[in-house]
This record gives sequence, C-alpha cells and structure tokens, in this order.
Amino acid sequence: MAFVSSGYNPDKPMEGRITDIGPQHFEQFYPEVIAKNKGKWAYHEILEPGVLVHVAESGDKVFTVRVGTARLMSITLIREACDIADKYCDGHLRFTTRNNMEFMTTDEGKLAELKKELMSRKFAGGSYKFPVGGTGASVSNIVHTQGWVHCHTPAMDASGPVKAVMDAVFDDFQNMRLPALVRISLACCLNMCGAVHASDIGIVGIHRKPPMIDHEYLDNLCEIPLAVAACPLGAIKPSKVEVDGKKLNTVSVNEERCMYCGNCYTMCPSLPLSDGDGDGCVIMVGGKVSNRISMPKFSKVVVAYIPNEPPRWPTLTKTIKHIIEVYSANAKKYERLGEWAERIGWEKFFELTGIEFTQHCIDDFRDPAYYTWRQSTQFKW
Amino acid sequence: MSEDAKKQIIEFLEGKKGKTKFYFNDFTKIFPDMKAREVKKLLTELVKEQKIEYWSSGSTTMYGLAGAGKQHATEEGE
Amino acid sequence: MAKHQTPLLDQLETGPWPSFVSDIKQEADRRAANPDGIEYQIPVDCPEDLLGVLELSYKEKETHWKHGGIVGVFGYGGGVIGRYCDQPEKFPGVAHFHTMRVNQPSGKYYTTKFLRDLCDIWDMRGSGLTNMHGSTGDIVFLGTTTPQLEEIFFELTHNMNTDLGGSGSNLRTPADCLGQSRCEFACYDTQAVCHALTNEYQDELHRPAFPYKFKFKFDGCPNGCVASIARSDFSVIGTWKDDIRIDQEAVKAYVGGEFKPNAGAHSGRDWGKFDIVAEVVDRCPTNCMSYDGSKLSIDNKECTRCMHCINVMPRALKVGKETGATILCGAKAPILDGAQMASMLVPFVPVEDPYDEIKEVIENIWDWWMEEGKNRERLGETMKRLGFQKLLEVTNTPAMPQHVKEPRNNPYIFFKEDEVPGGWSRDINEFRKRHLR
Repeated sequence: MAFVSSGYNPDKPMEGRITDIGPQHFEQFYPEVIAKNKGKWAYHEILEPGVLVHVAESGDKVFTVRVGTARLMSITLIREACDIADKYCDGHLRFTTRNNMEFMTTDEGKLAELKKELMSRKFAGGSYKFPVGGTGASVSNIVHTQGWVHCHTPAMDASGPVKAVMDAVFDDFQNMRLPALVRISLACCLNMCGAVHASDIGIVGIHRKPPMIDHEYLDNLCEIPLAVAACPLGAIKPSKVEVDGKKLNTVSVNEERCMYCGNCYTMCPSLPLSDGDGDGCVIMVGGKVSNRISMPKFSKVVVAYIPNEPPRWPTLTKTIKHIIEVYSANAKKYERLGEWAERIGWEKFFELTGIEFTQHCIDDFRDPAYYTWRQSTQFKW
Repeated sequence: MSEDAKKQIIEFLEGKKGKTKFYFNDFTKIFPDMKAREVKKLLTELVKEQKIEYWSSGSTTMYGLAGAGKQHATEEGE
Repeated sequence: MAKHQTPLLDQLETGPWPSFVSDIKQEADRRAANPDGIEYQIPVDCPEDLLGVLELSYKEKETHWKHGGIVGVFGYGGGVIGRYCDQPEKFPGVAHFHTMRVNQPSGKYYTTKFLRDLCDIWDMRGSGLTNMHGSTGDIVFLGTTTPQLEEIFFELTHNMNTDLGGSGSNLRTPADCLGQSRCEFACYDTQAVCHALTNEYQDELHRPAFPYKFKFKFDGCPNGCVASIARSDFSVIGTWKDDIRIDQEAVKAYVGGEFKPNAGAHSGRDWGKFDIVAEVVDRCPTNCMSYDGSKLSIDNKECTRCMHCINVMPRALKVGKETGATILCGAKAPILDGAQMASMLVPFVPVEDPYDEIKEVIENIWDWWMEEGKNRERLGETMKRLGFQKLLEVTNTPAMPQHVKEPRNNPYIFFKEDEVPGGWSRDINEFRKRHLR
C-alpha cells in the first residue's frame, strides 16, 4: 500500500489551499425537465406505490420512481444506482430527506421497465437493493442514526433494528392502505442526533445505568474540569480516591441525578456507560412535523423500556407492527397516529393497543411534566 | 494591536493549569470591549499560525494550545 | 472465506428490506478482489473488520467505538468526527475510522458523474462505505485514517469543487426540501436560498464560535418535508398572504371521481367515494370552507394555511400568489429541558435574492446568542431562559398576537423603568407627606 499524494503538501498546508467554497451549485445537477419547469409545476399524482408523476404548466411530465435504501451504502451500491440512472434517467438521480433514492424519467414508456429493473436487483443474501415504495399513506423509510456501526454513546444499534422493523412493515412500504403516512425514526441514544422527537413512531435508545468511573486512569486521560462541565445535570464533581495506596484525582457521580446521557463519556473516556443488560429503547408515538390540520406535535413515550434483542429485536418489531395495525384499523382517513390518539384519548390508545401503561409513562422531568398531567374530571373509563 | 491581543490569548492559555480546552466565550471575556466576531478573527489567525487548534466533542467545539492536552497524545500518537 | 464469522449479523441478510450487512459484505469482497487495481490508502479489509467489530457488539450489546477530538482539516473546526475502535488489535482495519461530512448540493440532486467521482475518491482513500445522507443532510464518508483527511479534502476542493460540511459549535450544513424544482406547493425557491446562505456563511460553517450547534433548514410549504420546525434553530417555512386559488371545474372533477383525492395517496384501500364535505370542508381546522353542491368557497381571511385542502385536491386548489416564508426559531431535541418546536418569530418575509431580510434576522440573532448564550445552550434554550420578548427586541420585531397561542396567564410582568411614568426613583419624604408612618 504505497502512499499516493493528492497534491497536498503537509509541510505547507496553506500552499494552493482552497477553502470556503461550499457545495456545487444545485442547478448543475438538474435533469433537463426539472431545469425547464422549475417553479411551474401544476400538480402531481401517485400513479402506484413508489411511482409519482409531476405535471408542469407546460404539459411536460416527469415520472419518479422512489426506492428505499439502508442509508448505510457502499460505493459499489451507489455505482450500481448510477448505472441504472445512466440507462434510464439521463445520468441523474436524487436522494430524499428520508434516505430514499429517486429515479426520474420523462419517458412513460420506460417506466415499467425501470421499475422492474429496480425490483429485480437483489443482494446475495436475498434482500432488495432498490425496493420501490414509500409514497402516500404508507410507512416511509426510517430516518436513523449510526448505532453500534460508528457511534461512541449508543444504547442500541440503529441499522439492525431499522432493517428488522422495515422487514416487518415492508408491505406497508409498498402499499398505501394506511389512514395517513406513518413516519418512523430511530435515534440510538437520547441525544437524538437524528431528532426523532416529532415522528409518528420514534424509537429511542436509552441507557439505564450511570457511568462507571475508571479511577486509576481518569486523571491521565481526562481533564477533570471538562468532565465536570460536560454533565448537563451537574451530577459530576471533582473528587479524590486512593488506589493501591496512591492518592488520585478523579470525579464522583451523583447517581440519583444522572439521566444516562453519555455527555461525560464524550469528554472523558474514563466514564463509560454502555451496558449490555441495562441498555435498550423506548417507543414514542404520535408526533408530527407537518402543519396539516393539527399543529406539529411531539412524540410521547408509550413503552418505557424494551431490551436490546439483537440481531432482530423481536419485541420492538412486534410492538411497532401491532401499533400500526391498531392505528390502521381505527383511525379515520387522513388522521395521523397522534391525531387519532388525541381524538380517542390516550387512555383509549392504551386500551385498544393493549400496551401496558406504567408509571414510567408519566412525565416527572422538571417543569413541563405538570402540563401533561390531567387537570380535569373529563376522562374515559 | 492585533499582535498584542493574540499574545494575550496565548498567555491566557499558558496560564491555565489542569485545563487545556476552552469554549469560545472564555476568550470573549478576555476582551470585554471587543465584538465577538473580532475575537473570532484573532483565534482563526492563531489557528492558521498553528499556535492553537480546535478540539471537538462532535457536538461542541473548543480551543486549546496546539499539541496540548491529555487526549492529544492518545489520539495522534497511536 | 470471510475474515470474521458473523452468525448474528448474517441473520440481517434475509427479509426484503435492503440489508446493510449484505452491502458491507459485497464491498469487502470487491476490495479483496480489487478488480480495478486501486492503490488502497487505508486497510483493504476495513469493511470486514467493521463487520467483525459490529458482530462483537451484537454479541455483547455494547458499542466498541471511542470518540476522538479530531475536528477536521487544517484551519477548519468541523467536518470530521474522530472515531477509534476500542479493540484495535482484533480489528486493525478500523482502529482509526473517522467520519467526514461532505456538504451536499441543495435539494440532493446529483449527476452520476459527480457521484462516481465521489466514489472514486472514497474507494482509494476511505472505507468505501457511506451514509446517503447523514441526519443533518451531509454526504457522510464513513471511516478513514488521519493522514487521509487532508488528501481527501484536497481532492474534494481541487477536483470536485466541493467543500466539507459542519460539525461542533458551528453553523451546521443547511438543508432544504426539493422546493420549486419539482413541487407545486413550494412557496419559494428553497434551494436557491439554502445555497446562497450556505455560501454566505462559510466562515460560520467551518470555524466554530457559537455557544453550540446552529441549524438552518428550509421547508417550501407548511407540510414541512425537511422537518425544519422540529429540528432547526432557524426554520424557514413557505407561506402566502393572499387567497388560495380555486379551479371550480377541477373541484367538480374531484367530486365526480375523475381525479383521485390526495393525489392518489390512499389508493391502497377502498375508502369509499370521495366526499368533499367530510374529507375537506369538515376537516378544515378553522371551518372556513363551504361547499354548496357545485361550488367550493373559502373564507380566506379565516384560513391558517394548514395545506390539508390543497393536499387533498392539488389539481383544484393552489397556494396563493403572494408567497414568501414564515421564520420560526429555537427547535431542538430533548436534551436538556425537553424538546422544543420552533416558535414563530417573523410571520412573513419575502424570499428574494439577495435575501437581505432573512440575513438581517439571522445576524441579529447570532449577535445576541453569541453574547448571551451559555456554553452548550441551543438558541431555543437561550430564548426560554431570557424570554421571547428579548428575541423580539434583538431582531427589531414588534410584538403581535400571532406570536402566541394565547396571552400569558400570570400577571408577573417585567416592566422596564422607562415604561412607567416618572420611572422608579421616588421620594420617600414626599410619600410620607401623604401617608403617616
């Protein structure tokens, strides 16, 4: 493996350096029909699950085939997508906010073949490479975080549970039978770099044990003031400890106060908190970001803990599938999961789904908690 | 003027014991009369001169003297 | 023969949904075979070691990654997330495995040429594994070694006219919906403003000087496909001021069943014949619509632009012509005091190049937040701590009823001294002339 220089000279980092140029201009990437009709689209229609047509005022049409991806993609797979885009889409494709790919063509005649080609491509293990779907009143692709693939504070994996859940609800990715769209999101710890707190169904990894303290090494690896400052709840204090007769500087953790966020571990590797038995996830439901009919809402915790069950998280998967089934059977057309739960009342949500309501579902974190308790005699038996 | 201010920043960093990484607003406190953007320019220049460097937790970024800090050795030296 | 046995991960290869395990395996196989004769600059077997360390996590239910403080390339304070494996001897291929964030083009349209060029760089200088895309919007290069960071940056900037994205306490890579490029609902050109502001604020994006992260996101309409209202400090959402445009003939076509309601989004179930009263008029949150059997009427001054009727009948109803955007501020995830949705600050702003009105709001907010924000405090938390009035003051926005869902329900009002006649200095002796001790 011989080193190959790009042209960069490490002795003179500023020489010929290009910085602050931002991304390329988006217009260079437009398919011709997009460039021509931008701002002049008249309407769109979902022709079948995963296939859209947008019609411009000019009469031009662009057909879009949407496919789900795992988000974690190899360059081999990207190149394969490029081959398909070269063959059918004039060398263009786009990605959506929810990790789907979109193949666009103006030729309606090519559409059936394009769709067939996408659905025909499978990985060696048998799964689809480019499953068509994710439009309209369906379960759209899950947005998620890194999990055990690449993160240092996850309480669960991300890609694995996403694969397991999407396998379980795959029919609803390719069908549009639901009352409204169902957006599922997964964040592998409560820092939520994926911001999943306003999803119809949110899966959030949680730790349940305060960090361990590696006293013997802490002062060598960490700056104590930074570890102390890292704690959002002020639960970490400087402290001293005696190990093998040696007095060492370290920290102490007020375990009662800890919410297991892992911020201290980010600043100080001597405060690990992952725990195979303690970690797991919660299920939050009923959030949305759209302003349609009702205002945007946060998701609410309905299952306060599910253990990690790799490789396929059967309890999590089964619970989500069940929530979708009950929602689908009971909600009105256009009603999002949270709108349905609010209309019937959350007590009915628990009754209909059979999910056990536990004390952990009652908010007890600071001031906002009070506003979620019931200040009324109105409730359902 | 700007060289003096930069010297003050380095002196501030060298004067701290047991802590090598600082938030941006630790530097604005050194120069109460200066606009935050001016302070930022000084820090940027010091980074370019390879006298100070950034450290990031991923979500937050801090500044410190180049090469200083306990985590530095383990990260770069492996 | 695979380098590591992965019996747990192998169970994620079955089922219909794309298997990331199968995909990593195919990348591992291709690298091992190296059909293109690539001079790999990081360990050839890193995808295999990634599967190996992930299998270990599946067995133990714990992560094996450590964070590192590496932030990027020379002179940048973001764009790279340092990662080290805590079992480097077992999995040397991923001992150093840093993430690079590459700033995606607005709207995420690509040419295959551009994507192939990116793949070529990442084939030779990285793991060959990516996220398309990260949560914030960047193209994410997943895993390379420290010496390759500058090389990749050099290739990106010199050969691909593309820069890194943000991380840490800086402006994060702005993101948008596809907007007017392919959507009839978009009330402004999301991509144009996203691109313009990304370039305008390159210094803020690459050189952190904020108390914490700061995110811009641009939604073309109140449907909010990029979720700006839930996850950006500065959320720009398209809206309009005038009337919804109605094509009564098209309304009739929906009623008559010629056009599919909601653009066909519900065709997977038989919901019965389209009922315009039950599905549109009665679902209107402000009850501002009526249908007399042949004509649909909208009392536009009562409309709050929720998009429902337009979503249901896109061929009959169109957003108004006087379009622009509403600016909302301060959304964030739950850490620490709970999640926040963005709060409405500027009800209407025109969105026109060079976007001076929007920039003015942004810069006023930054000046205030950089001064007053505590370390690691998101804008929404600063707003909560210091009050919405303060945000109004620093952005020169007059208070109006639209700013609140309801007026305050306590009388603990903090008046400023100059709001009260005579101020707060009073003469106790004058007072005692009227009131005995």
